[in-house]
Amino acid sequence: MPSLAIKPLVRRHTEIGIVLISILLVLVFTATSEGRWANAYNIGTILQVTATLGLMSLGVALVIGTGEIDISVGSTFGIAAIIYLWLAVRVDPALAALVAVAAGAAIGAFNGVLIARTGTPSLIVTLGSLMIFRGLAIALTSGFAISIPYKERGGFSYFILGGDKIYNVNTGLIWLAAALIVLTLMLRYMAWGNRLLAVGGSVESAHSRGVRVNRTKISAFIICGLLAGLGGVLEAGKLGSADGSMGRLMELQAIAACVLGGCLLAGGRISLIGAIMGAFVLSSIQSYLIVMSVQPQWFVLLLGVIVVVAALGVRSLRRWALR
Amino acid sequence: MSSNHPLIRVTNLDLYFGVFHALKSVSVDFHAGEFVGLVGDNGAGKTTLIRVLCGIYAPSNGEVHFDGKRVTNFHPKLAIDQGIETIQQAVGLCDNLSIARNFYLGREPVKRILGIPFLDFNKMRDKSTRVIRTFGLRDNVSADDEVEQLSGGERQTVKIGRAVEFKNRVLIMDEPTNHLSVREREHVNELAIQLKEQGLLVIYITHDISQVHKLADRIVIMENGEKIEDTQADAMSLEELEAVIRHGGRTVEKDHMH
Ligand SMILES: Nc1ncnc2c1ncn2[C@@H]1O[C@H](COP(=O)(O)OP(=O)(O)OP(=O)(O)O)[C@@H](O)[C@H]1O
Ligand SMILES: [Mg+2]
Repeated sequence: MPSLAIKPLVRRHTEIGIVLISILLVLVFTATSEGRWANAYNIGTILQVTATLGLMSLGVALVIGTGEIDISVGSTFGIAAIIYLWLAVRVDPALAALVAVAAGAAIGAFNGVLIARTGTPSLIVTLGSLMIFRGLAIALTSGFAISIPYKERGGFSYFILGGDKIYNVNTGLIWLAAALIVLTLMLRYMAWGNRLLAVGGSVESAHSRGVRVNRTKISAFIICGLLAGLGGVLEAGKLGSADGSMGRLMELQAIAACVLGGCLLAGGRISLIGAIMGAFVLSSIQSYLIVMSVQPQWFVLLLGVIVVVAALGVRSLRRWALR
Repeated sequence: MSSNHPLIRVTNLDLYFGVFHALKSVSVDFHAGEFVGLVGDNGAGKTTLIRVLCGIYAPSNGEVHFDGKRVTNFHPKLAIDQGIETIQQAVGLCDNLSIARNFYLGREPVKRILGIPFLDFNKMRDKSTRVIRTFGLRDNVSADDEVEQLSGGERQTVKIGRAVEFKNRVLIMDEPTNHLSVREREHVNELAIQLKEQGLLVIYITHDISQVHKLADRIVIMENGEKIEDTQADAMSLEELEAVIRHGGRTVEKDHMH
């Protein structure tokens, strides 16, 4: 029976669902778009979007791993983009990026500390942050966009921070790859990851074994904010401009990417590569709708449908594997 | 056996869950090398009391002294570092992690590569495999298996094996023989006695009154959050003991018998 060999594999690798979905979509999109979707330029664009959304999704996956949720990452993304662009013309862009990413981490710390210390549900706290920092982003830009003219964007810092390409892929992808490697090592091969997943599996049990539950949760929120901030910097580096609405609704895409990628919203089971594949699938769908001239409004609707269907699919796949 | 200086001294301990008064001015001493049976009806507060001792709950009032020093911060990490190992009721294992990962949760062994502390998987796997085999887990259960797949008895076995492996100064066992077969129960009870003889303080919670009457040096009875009896085991017959648990305080029962 082949299913006997597949079951343990599916049980251990929750990302198998998204791998199947990706393969299917790539084939369908390629076959139905007459080369408009599957060409070097378009794939490059998809990968650039995957890089920024993927960074955000990695952070959200970690928070989901602890059994919490962060819906403020879209606003963090926007704030970081604005800070970066505003500072990059005044100080070294590398320093500007550092400050912007630190601001993201600070927003994460704010969320994490509030949630851990007061026991308020993370959905409520990060809903508050979502609105606070979106409001701040709109207020700071007062309805206009902050931008850096293209000819001023020279030098290595701009190049490496999403401003250019190597071999047809945006440099943002380097950051995504680095983040994936570092976080995978931390999650699977270090004590921090063991404790993070333990907290998501059972807070009481983790606590009873001496795990510092609050610290663990706060660390996940900080990394989440930091990565959302980095995503914002890279997106700003690519576009060279940002307004107060930058990153809006991206939090929903990031959560959707995690769910598609096999992260269990109840906590304790996540896949980092799955979250990135989820981001890739969402970027691919978005791009497909654009090249097929479907009105962009349909994207959110389709996103919702796909998330529900995929979540059900992942769930039944897992049920089947556990039987 | 017991020295005059108690290893754990609990004085006038109160604990509230919201408005519910779960522990009412409990005072009790525990000595090294002592086997203390903690008994009482469902909901009497036994688990709550030992969860203060192992740092899970901080008391609302009262004091805990460990080895002569006042405990000011309550956290399981601190209790474990002091040498208090606990087999918890209901909690203690994370379903989503493997046996090996659960085994070392909170005290993961590391191996440094380029100065970075990576988990020492070989050690985690080897040691936890050896322990679960010693405690008689089926051969087809591997240390890499997720706890989710284990039966109730297998889970309990992992918890007991882990606590015994890391035993230090105090072993608290909250209904340790639940889910276990007759033979496994005997094994666990023998182990508890051995550990006491090695000088550990063993606190043993159970509803098996006749068993604890045989095993324990001292028996503490709780009811409605209060300690209602604290006696050497041989100073009370099994029938008396059962009557106290059934009807409350011993004085009442004694008046009745006279
Ligand atoms: N976290 C909690 N929040 C609120 N009430 C609690 C909590 N834990 C325990 N209680 C209550 O405190 C009382 C004592 O519970 P405890 O678990 O200590 O009893 P027990 O003596 O261990 O009982 P059993 O023999 O059934 O395990 C019970 O009435 C219980 O409902
Ligand atoms: Mg109990």
